[in-house]
Amino acid sequence: MRRRALVLVALGVCLSAGAGAQVVNWPTENPPRPLPSRPVSFPPYELRTLPNGMQVIVVMHHEQPEVTMRILVRGGAAYDPPGKAGTAALVGSLLHQGTTTRTAQAIADAIDSIGGALDSGAGGDHSSATVLVMKDSFDVGMDMLADVVRRPAFAPEEIERQRRQTAQSLDVSLEDPGFIAGAVMNRLIYGFHPYGFPDSGMPETIARITREDLREFHRRYFAPNNSILAIVGDVTADEAMAAAARVFGDWPRQAVQPPTLPDPPKPTRRIVVIDKPESVQTAVRIGQLAIPRKTPEYMNFDQAIRILGGEGSNRLFRVLRSERGLTYSASADMNTMLLAGDVVAETDTRTEATGEAVRVIVDEFTRLQRERVGDAELAGAQAYMTGSFPLTIETPGAIARQVVNAVFYDLSLDELRTYRQRANAVTPDDVLRVARAYVQPDRLSIVMVGNAAAFKDQLAKAGFGSYELIPLSNLDLSAANLKKR
Amino acid sequence: MNQLLTVVAFVAALTVAPLDAAVRPPHLQYEIMTLPNGLTVVLSPDHSTPIVHVELWYHVGSKDEKTGRTGFAHLFEHMMFKGSKNVEPEEHASMLASIGGQSNAYTNDDATVFWQTLPSQYLPLVLWMEADRMATLRIDKATFENEREVVKEERRLRVDNQPFGRLSEILYDTFYTVSPYKHTTIGSMKDLDSASVEDVRDFHRSFYIPGNATMAIVGDFDMAQAKELETKYFARVPTSDRVIPREYAREKPSVAERRIIVNENWPLPAVIVAYPITYDGHPDSYPLHLTSKILSDGDSSRIYRSLVYEKQIALSAFGSGNIIEEPNLFFAVALVAPGRTHDEVEKALVAEFDKLRTEPITERELQRAKNQFFRDYIVDRESIRGKASQLAHAVVIHRDVTTADGEVEIFTNMKVSDLQRVAKTYFTPQNRLVLKILPKTAGSR
Repeated sequence: MRRRALVLVALGVCLSAGAGAQVVNWPTENPPRPLPSRPVSFPPYELRTLPNGMQVIVVMHHEQPEVTMRILVRGGAAYDPPGKAGTAALVGSLLHQGTTTRTAQAIADAIDSIGGALDSGAGGDHSSATVLVMKDSFDVGMDMLADVVRRPAFAPEEIERQRRQTAQSLDVSLEDPGFIAGAVMNRLIYGFHPYGFPDSGMPETIARITREDLREFHRRYFAPNNSILAIVGDVTADEAMAAAARVFGDWPRQAVQPPTLPDPPKPTRRIVVIDKPESVQTAVRIGQLAIPRKTPEYMNFDQAIRILGGEGSNRLFRVLRSERGLTYSASADMNTMLLAGDVVAETDTRTEATGEAVRVIVDEFTRLQRERVGDAELAGAQAYMTGSFPLTIETPGAIARQVVNAVFYDLSLDELRTYRQRANAVTPDDVLRVARAYVQPDRLSIVMVGNAAAFKDQLAKAGFGSYELIPLSNLDLSAANLKKR
Repeated sequence: MNQLLTVVAFVAALTVAPLDAAVRPPHLQYEIMTLPNGLTVVLSPDHSTPIVHVELWYHVGSKDEKTGRTGFAHLFEHMMFKGSKNVEPEEHASMLASIGGQSNAYTNDDATVFWQTLPSQYLPLVLWMEADRMATLRIDKATFENEREVVKEERRLRVDNQPFGRLSEILYDTFYTVSPYKHTTIGSMKDLDSASVEDVRDFHRSFYIPGNATMAIVGDFDMAQAKELETKYFARVPTSDRVIPREYAREKPSVAERRIIVNENWPLPAVIVAYPITYDGHPDSYPLHLTSKILSDGDSSRIYRSLVYEKQIALSAFGSGNIIEEPNLFFAVALVAPGRTHDEVEKALVAEFDKLRTEPITERELQRAKNQFFRDYIVDRESIRGKASQLAHAVVIHRDVTTADGEVEIFTNMKVSDLQRVAKTYFTPQNRLVLKILPKTAGSR
């Protein structure tokens, strides 16, 4: 007993000295030097175009006996017809729910029985279908991919099934604070631009979509000259190209006319509190309109936002989690799309800390725009970006994703090769310039989803006393004021 | 006419054609060694990209926690990033980030895993840092208290503030009386508040010792050099004579079906049907793995097809075995679709388990399940992280590294009768728990 107490005292002394080492003779030393490094460059890939205009990317990788094929069609939720948000998503989910030659059940049975996987869907800018098969089923997989992309049946009973599931899933999502906060933030940033609505649509817009709308969307945008096909894995380039020509070669080219869309509104400060009284935490999202993917300033702005809240740096994480213990995670992300983009900082914090967290995040946006980033901090962010480059080319899927991305957003393929040089070329002045050009701290929109009564007093103290309060049951994502009538 | 015939022919082909046997994953190449202090190391070179993945498994999880200290293994995992003799607090992650590496950790019921993927020339750095925190973790009261708040936020984020977030917690707490799996890894707020700095110190001394650790290194390294580095940095971590208790309470066999209803403020009612099963590596665990595939992998699997696609009584539904180190549960969950009743969902779920007992699955279903299993192995092995996890899991949970490849053979040899046998063993009415989680007030938000 006595001995134990003594040990504790000794340990206490040790702790106050700042170390709790249990091993007595452990050396004090500096980190070891690295071994010689191996040169690394972007791996080889093939990019060819079929006579009908389909772009085909092949990445060969022979270690594991599998092949993944993914087709990306230019046209997603942003091209939904007005008032019919959810059209692209419904088309996407229906691609593998029956074709003119196979039922939904036959497709499921065929892919599952060969130990494959098949999925399809839509994002804001694109629709897609992906098939994964073992090497010996490559041809079968290519046939299925072409079938679901070219010949979806849009059978009425499948439409109703997907429509019901989408609407019901959306109802569940509308109880999830993270989903609600993200959806409201998108509306504040993009207004009535299609990027402002959930890709899935909303209950009333999903209800309006007809079979003809789905067929029309498919007819308009699903064309070889509007598509990118990536074939990745245990095949040769010749095998892949031959298979692509076999299943897509007779798909006729057609003129594709994207719709004309309104510009998103200019940033304005709007603070919205969605009241969900049983919440034990507040979901906080703070953001504004920023830049689309294809912009000369992309790399500069990317680094600014990484310093604010990205991997390898992240001021928000440091202050909110490491220093104050207010959250499990805090980050800021650029979301850059074809037509526009945004930057959103997010965290989830206990109700009592809501005002403090919001203040910290807004202040960090401000600091980014007022203070020149230190050389060491910027060098750290760049070291992460350049150092992690070999991690981004580990799997054939990851390689293909980068090539597809470059082709999709019409970037120079050279950018894949020059990534590290471009990252290292950014200076503190560049970061300050883009932060001043694109960040407007007094126009940041703020969304909080939580127990409003418990944190409203904190908001006034933190300088955010003026806000719109909307009970969750009264939220309407379609309305300008976000409220049900 | 023509079209109809084609469909008929296709369906006929599906029902009669035997399936080809699957493509198998290629064997992993590795060496295994044990240092004199007890640390086990598995090394598997893969030179395709100049990166290396290092993961260190400590064989301690939430099932090893003391009464009144639920959530501690996970809370402790967080403390491992708070500095050691030569590494400042948070520096483990920031040093790795500064070389472009990625690192994190996770805790489950059986193990706590620290992982990092990094450019391969920095292998010495990561080994040095892992050894430093194994031997000399800093334990500081202020840091501990700050980190406890972080973990409480993690619990709020993932469990308390999420629709259906408490599902596992409710299931396991309801099902078990004495099992170490009665509580989930995140633990309770009350227990997190009770934890002390002395608990941290004791936990480190008890479990974070070389003999309780397994390291997997996969990627671009030279075998001889890696072994030398491993020895250089880890051999100096002293061995420990502490014996880790591995005796876990086991539940008494159930004598009758249990039916329980609880209320939660969730958007939809949920129905859970659960049965106790065996542990990972038991001969019965392999047919149970395949049964999970048959019930819930892909749109043609039984539970999805019946409840979601055909009857449309569930918004989502799945069933699978939680096959881990000690006996756990096989359970199915369905979210009741609006307008449908929890009774019809319960009937449909129970019917699926009954069917597995009373009727053999088809040869085609069996082959499909095997093919899906091999696919998972293969896809997982595309990354060095996936390979490392498979190897470390084999060593820590199966206590036999050869199972990383050897299980493929076991699955290949499974027969229809094996699946029916385990269904009859485990999916019996008296073993069953039917748990319904219903909204507190109908139609409320």
